[in-house]
Amino acid sequence: MTVLVGRKIKKTYGKKSTAQEVLKGIDIEVSKGEFVGIMGPSGSGKTTLLNVLCSIDHPTEGVVEINGKNLRNMKEKQLANFRREQLGFVFQDYNLLDTLTVKENILLPLSISKLPRAVAESRLKELVKLLGISEILNKYPNEISGGQKQRTSAARALISGPTLVFADEPTGALDSKSATALLTNLENINKQKSVTIMMVTHDSVAASFCSRVLFLKDGSIYTELYRGDKTRQQFFQQILNTQSILGGDGYDA
Amino acid sequence: MTLSRLVFRSMRKNVKHYYLYFFALIFSVTLCFSFTTLHHNPTVVEALKESGTASAGFQSATYVLYFIVTFFVLYANHLFMKRRSKEMGLYQLIGMTKGLIVRLIALENIILFILAVAVGMVIGFFSSRLFAMILIKLLKLDLVIDLVFSSEAFIQSVIIFSILLLVILFQMTWMVYRVTLLSLFHASKKADERIKRFNFFQMAFGLIGLFLIVYGYYQSSVLFDMEKSHFKDLFLHMIVILASTIFGTFLFFRYSVSFIMNIFRASKKGHLKIRDVMAVTPIMHRMKGNAKSLTLITVLTGLAVGIMSLSYISYFSSATRAHQYSPYDYILLNDKGISFLDRLHQEGIEFEKDTYRVAEVKFDFQDLIGDFANQNLTFASESSMYVVPLSDFKQVSPDAQLNDGEAIVTSYQNMFSEIMPLEKGGDLSVRFNNEEEKVIIKEIQEEFMLSGTVTMASPLLVVTDTTFENISANQSPESFFNYQVGVNLVDNEDSPKAEEIYNELQEERKLVVNGQEYLPLSYEEEHHSYLSIYGTTIFITAFLGLAFLLTTGSILYFKQMSEAEMEKESYTILRKIGFSTSDLMKGIYAKQAFNFGVPLVIGLLHSYFAVKSGWFLFGTEMFTPLVVTMVLYVIMYAVFAVISTQYYKRIIKASL
Repeated sequence: MTVLVGRKIKKTYGKKSTAQEVLKGIDIEVSKGEFVGIMGPSGSGKTTLLNVLCSIDHPTEGVVEINGKNLRNMKEKQLANFRREQLGFVFQDYNLLDTLTVKENILLPLSISKLPRAVAESRLKELVKLLGISEILNKYPNEISGGQKQRTSAARALISGPTLVFADEPTGALDSKSATALLTNLENINKQKSVTIMMVTHDSVAASFCSRVLFLKDGSIYTELYRGDKTRQQFFQQILNTQSILGGDGYDA
Repeated sequence: MTLSRLVFRSMRKNVKHYYLYFFALIFSVTLCFSFTTLHHNPTVVEALKESGTASAGFQSATYVLYFIVTFFVLYANHLFMKRRSKEMGLYQLIGMTKGLIVRLIALENIILFILAVAVGMVIGFFSSRLFAMILIKLLKLDLVIDLVFSSEAFIQSVIIFSILLLVILFQMTWMVYRVTLLSLFHASKKADERIKRFNFFQMAFGLIGLFLIVYGYYQSSVLFDMEKSHFKDLFLHMIVILASTIFGTFLFFRYSVSFIMNIFRASKKGHLKIRDVMAVTPIMHRMKGNAKSLTLITVLTGLAVGIMSLSYISYFSSATRAHQYSPYDYILLNDKGISFLDRLHQEGIEFEKDTYRVAEVKFDFQDLIGDFANQNLTFASESSMYVVPLSDFKQVSPDAQLNDGEAIVTSYQNMFSEIMPLEKGGDLSVRFNNEEEKVIIKEIQEEFMLSGTVTMASPLLVVTDTTFENISANQSPESFFNYQVGVNLVDNEDSPKAEEIYNELQEERKLVVNGQEYLPLSYEEEHHSYLSIYGTTIFITAFLGLAFLLTTGSILYFKQMSEAEMEKESYTILRKIGFSTSDLMKGIYAKQAFNFGVPLVIGLLHSYFAVKSGWFLFGTEMFTPLVVTMVLYVIMYAVFAVISTQYYKRIIKASL
């Protein structure tokens, strides 16, 4: 089943004279249960693509459909509702509210839904157990580590039971141990609960957790890799190889 | 790039930050300049000559105004500098010395200040005419105000604002030199309370705060209560009330608010609604930084509304007061100036007249206030009071009935009736020329009949005609006042002519006893003299009140502006994860209702209790003036809440 469809997505910034085309007609399809990574050097349009796909930004041209719904036809309020109910978000800089405890932060997306408290509570229990943050529920974000913050953020993304989770450089601000722990968590959740995840990253290790990796170059899809039955190590090697062909070097500036 | 080019470039880039500060400046200059211009306007000076204290009042009001404006501008400048801390940090980072930064900002400030003063003076000059017209209207005079440029006012304002500029520059220099590079980058976060758990002390302090406010209110309600006998150290009690309400207000904002909200939040067990997320939690966590300014705003609101209400009460009561002092349009004492009636006839002016027979008795005041009598009070044991027979009293109160030995006390109101309420049903023994008679006080009434020039605001006794005849037959030789004619015009159109005649007969109307002159004024004259005193007073207090209002409103608005900017990040997060603008605005409304509403409500409560404790010293009617003042204040205050909410809306809309 196809969860997300993007057709001929173009995004241009600036006025006519100074217009810069960031996305040059991208076609993408994501099926249920996939864990898709988007890679590419800086300025290739990774984050722009993610923002357009997740309805935070509007494409200049083209169509985005999630669960068969065309985002273009929705008003601001509908879009917001849609995001809250159908999508989950994990950002590089955690995006937790400082004034809320971990528990309050996780339950935030439910704050205007009519979900019974008991249901919310049981969902929360399950998620925090899965992510290993049951001990810190009553702490404030400034009292916990970066890895814990990001797992809190992930729990918040999953609490409303979304069809699709978008992650923008979720490991960008984490040390490698926390990063691996988080990615393992995401992979488990993807497999156990068959949650579809789309992740932008420039970290090849992070990308190797995905089931499919798209490579972006200058606003177009350059190639894509499927993990298939390969081990993570093999897939990681394959990603590295592709990157070296793509950008000439393994790490973009 | 030269310094001046950098200055202009940064000013252009910073227009958004500047205009807040710029308007604060313009507004201050406008207020000050328009007030001083008004003060020096020849027409106004002429109109105010009548009441000797008006000019002094204006002078002291000017100083208060300068004080408010200085405070306000310093506050705005401080906030403005704080918002630009990052910019200053950046300048230092790229290697500018602090001296150069000071010069840069000083230059900006001077340009801005001169512009603001110029604009403010122009607006102030024109608005002074509007204010003058309001003043003349309040004094019920018929004058045309010319727009006159007063060089004196100009020079005075220029001097004051030059001093203010120096103070600002000093403040700015001090701020730049005091801070370290690192702290500059964090300056705008400093006021945030780091999230901590709420402990027992906070709870205790919160409760103490609430208790102190209630205690202050209670004390104020018994301030003039004789039973509690606070008269001896009235001043001390006022200080205590003031201190406990102000300190209580501070504790309330500093601890009680977080305390109450924390209980509410804990009860949610983590399942917050979006409104709580947007309103409750930020308020809780900012209370430490905001407590002082909210207290200040509350106190200023209370002060402004209190003072304005009291002066409005005075103004509002001028007609009643004039009526109490001169219950008839024209009053003739004994048979002095009785030819006034003939003159009115000759001029064909229709009138109605009441006549009163009057006698005087001695009595013990303590008898009147009954078991209320208080040992601490040293009332002269014997006072005197005028007596009127029932049949004459029926001219104003046709339904009055008395049996033998009964009496009515009337003309007892305001100050006296509030401080010492009389009790009916008591015995009163009245003495006249060595005789004594006991009467029972049947009723306490509020009618006024006799000229205040003679009665000196003491109460009147109405007795049966037989009792009166007995008293009047045995008058002591000292009593001189035995008859009064009260005249009311049928048609008010005749008033100017009648006034003229009344004035012409001044010499004839004079009642001279033992070298003491008694000359009653007409109701019109009485009313006019009250108006000119209280009209000026209410004008000055309303002007200051307006300054207070604009200051408190702007401070709140500025605060909310910077809060909105600080919270912009949170709004971005919330919008990203799927909250619409209208969801977030729900919380903003609640937050604004708190930030503007709570200081307002508490301030109004403060002023209500302050006014209630002593309003009767100022006038005869509390309710209407108080409500009118409060309603007007709330409406103008609400404007700030609305523009602040609009600002939030813009920020939220732009956050995604």
